[in-house]
Amino acid sequence: MNSVWWASEDFWRKMAVWLTAVMTVVLILLTFDTVKQITAGSERVPAYSAINHRIYYRFDSSRNMQVPVIGDSAPLFGTSLSEEDAEALVSKGKLTTQAKNCMNCHTLLGNGAYYAPDLTKAWLDPAWGSEAAREQLMVNFLLDPHTNARGYGTGRKMPNLGITEEEAHGVVAFLKWMSTIDTNGFPRNFTPISQEGDR
Amino acid sequence: MNAGIQESSNLTGGQKLAVKYYTVAVVLFVAQILFGLLSGLKYLQPDFLYEVLDFNVTRMVHINAMIVWMLFGFMGAIYWLVEEESETELVGLKLGNLAFWVLTSAVTVVVLVYLFVQVGPAEMSTIWFIGEGREYIEAPRWADIGIVICLLVFMYNIAATFMKGKWSGISGVLVLDLVALAGLYVAGMYYTPNISMDQYWWWWVVHLWVEATWEVLVGCIMAWGLIKTLGANRKIVTTWLYIEVALMLGAGILGLGHHYFWIGTPEYWLGIGGFFSALEPVPLVAMVVHAVYDSGVHGSKNSNHPALAWLIAHAFGNFFGGGVWGFMHTLPQINLYTHGTQWTTSHGHLAFFGAYATINIAMFYIALQRWRGNVYMSAGLPGNGWKWKWALSLLCTGVVGMTMALLVSGYEQAFVERALGGSTWAAYFEAQRGTWYVQGMYWRQIFGYVTAAGLVLLIWDLLTIGLREKRSMVVPTDHVVVTA
Amino acid sequence: MLEPVELNNIMIAVIAGAMVVLLGALYAFTFAMGKMNKKRWLIGVSYTVFAGLAISVFTLAQSLNLNGYWQLVTYTMLLGYLLAPQAIWKLSVGTHRASD
Repeated sequence: MNSVWWASEDFWRKMAVWLTAVMTVVLILLTFDTVKQITAGSERVPAYSAINHRIYYRFDSSRNMQVPVIGDSAPLFGTSLSEEDAEALVSKGKLTTQAKNCMNCHTLLGNGAYYAPDLTKAWLDPAWGSEAAREQLMVNFLLDPHTNARGYGTGRKMPNLGITEEEAHGVVAFLKWMSTIDTNGFPRNFTPISQEGDR
Repeated sequence: MNAGIQESSNLTGGQKLAVKYYTVAVVLFVAQILFGLLSGLKYLQPDFLYEVLDFNVTRMVHINAMIVWMLFGFMGAIYWLVEEESETELVGLKLGNLAFWVLTSAVTVVVLVYLFVQVGPAEMSTIWFIGEGREYIEAPRWADIGIVICLLVFMYNIAATFMKGKWSGISGVLVLDLVALAGLYVAGMYYTPNISMDQYWWWWVVHLWVEATWEVLVGCIMAWGLIKTLGANRKIVTTWLYIEVALMLGAGILGLGHHYFWIGTPEYWLGIGGFFSALEPVPLVAMVVHAVYDSGVHGSKNSNHPALAWLIAHAFGNFFGGGVWGFMHTLPQINLYTHGTQWTTSHGHLAFFGAYATINIAMFYIALQRWRGNVYMSAGLPGNGWKWKWALSLLCTGVVGMTMALLVSGYEQAFVERALGGSTWAAYFEAQRGTWYVQGMYWRQIFGYVTAAGLVLLIWDLLTIGLREKRSMVVPTDHVVVTA
Repeated sequence: MLEPVELNNIMIAVIAGAMVVLLGALYAFTFAMGKMNKKRWLIGVSYTVFAGLAISVFTLAQSLNLNGYWQLVTYTMLLGYLLAPQAIWKLSVGTHRASD
């Protein structure tokens, strides 16, 4: 019997090639736009110097989600940094999270492992108690997780990873900067630490 | 031909090389399960090996061993098929052997560094020589470069062999896919302080490897497996390979969007990712029709029962792991709560096992049959084939059990931590202490041991099946055995 | 605009999601068996299964608040699950005939 064109090997070879090609082209076009929108300094992914400011969340009813807001001046560790220095500090912190393999216990932006809490909003977590003490508590914890362990009764505690003071400062900067990223409302219903000027 | 013994003279050069890849694959499979058990145990006994081998190390080895054993399995399968498919000898056997030893040594060094060095200072030297700390692609940069070079050598070897001999539809798809496989890995060799950008490209490697190029590789291997074990018609199989590639990549490439919901990427990804993820199970479901049609039309004798059983496990595992478990939590309206919980783990375990572990094991059996001299592997093996049957049952029960247990934990976590607790650290730990969550973790560990028992039995079977077999392989209908 | 699932609807959404894919497979299976064995009643069964699938899709859509743009996803899904198995049947017959 004769083969019908829509069931022929030739037709489906072409379909496979064309569909793959079209989807790849669409992905590449979307990538150009996305990369522009997630480059640091854009609306969704703020400049590294955002760490010089207080970070808030505001419910945006038109988007039906919480969005980060960069507020008044609130320099990290009491020093306002230039864009260049801020990037260097955040980069130090990001590199620390990679060098210490944080992602195989924690999640960052929800990706990673699930043995320890998500770090996306670590900077704004109410667990730090007060806004004033937060920076130092975070550094202390990273330097000496044994003494400052917080397992909430699960028995899990972070190991001592030999983090230096410089690295700890970097990690805090990186976490503060990460909390400024517009994550389309993830995680939902997050309650931040109470901060000065909270509205 | 020597029946019933492990006789390498039964094999071609490429097949001998394939056996090497398979051997390393099985060793890494053992490592995967061992480090999986260790990681699971830490949820129950957090102090176990604390600051000796911490969770971040055991879990890294667990997932890396998995990725690499599956990759070794695929490479083995391709070396196994290339000569029959091209009807000529492998072009660069020496080169292939060299690349195998380089790759295997590199993997060994990487694992030893993971285990004994573990972490480094926050310098680029750590990224280059210890690890990159990015889930799934933790391998240090030097190893990344080595992996790409070995993949390129592999690709050259395969493409050049087809060029010297004969091309076919399957080999065309295969070679193009290998180009994509090597190329995409390059997207992972990149440092940036910007975590959104980091994860954007990271998913190119992770998703487009696992949900695109690997699926196509499996499609090629399956196509060849069907021709081999069921004596299926080549022209039909090739046409269906094209249909599958069209459907899988048609939905899978932009299915990448479901990883771009919450990492800082624009809102349009919610719509794109949601749309294509909703469609991703459709081809899987539709293929049921083809399976029914095929089994009705052919009903042919098959020459290798264990391999066929594992291929069936593959069909079901892929359907449930990828299709059902994926779709349950893929739309952003619910993924907002399930993303980054044990829910993901549940899906991951069943999907990886169903889609990739099963097919590799099926290929091991196909290879063993030839290696032991085209021995009989149909019904009525000694002891009624209890070893392979129990290995299959234990492995499947173990993985399905873990998946169910993790789903219970994941459900509680999504509910208590995310939906009720608003994802604070206090809420995270409250969920971790929850009765259902903890119960789930215990059951996961128990089923982990079941999986391990299945693996032990599987290895025992792989080492012994067909050794004392005197009967010859049943030749599948309308299939011509190519003898080298 | 995204309207995430309500707390009380999480379980319903999860079950409905699983049912969509499972019934999709059952519909495909009964449809193919009916065609294969030329049993009209099995085709009838397959459409009954599809009705169940449609109910699951609408339950899912309701529990996940799929409104606005998301309705497109709902209806594409329905259409895809309905037509894809039929298309694959035609292709199965077509490709096998072509090579005979």
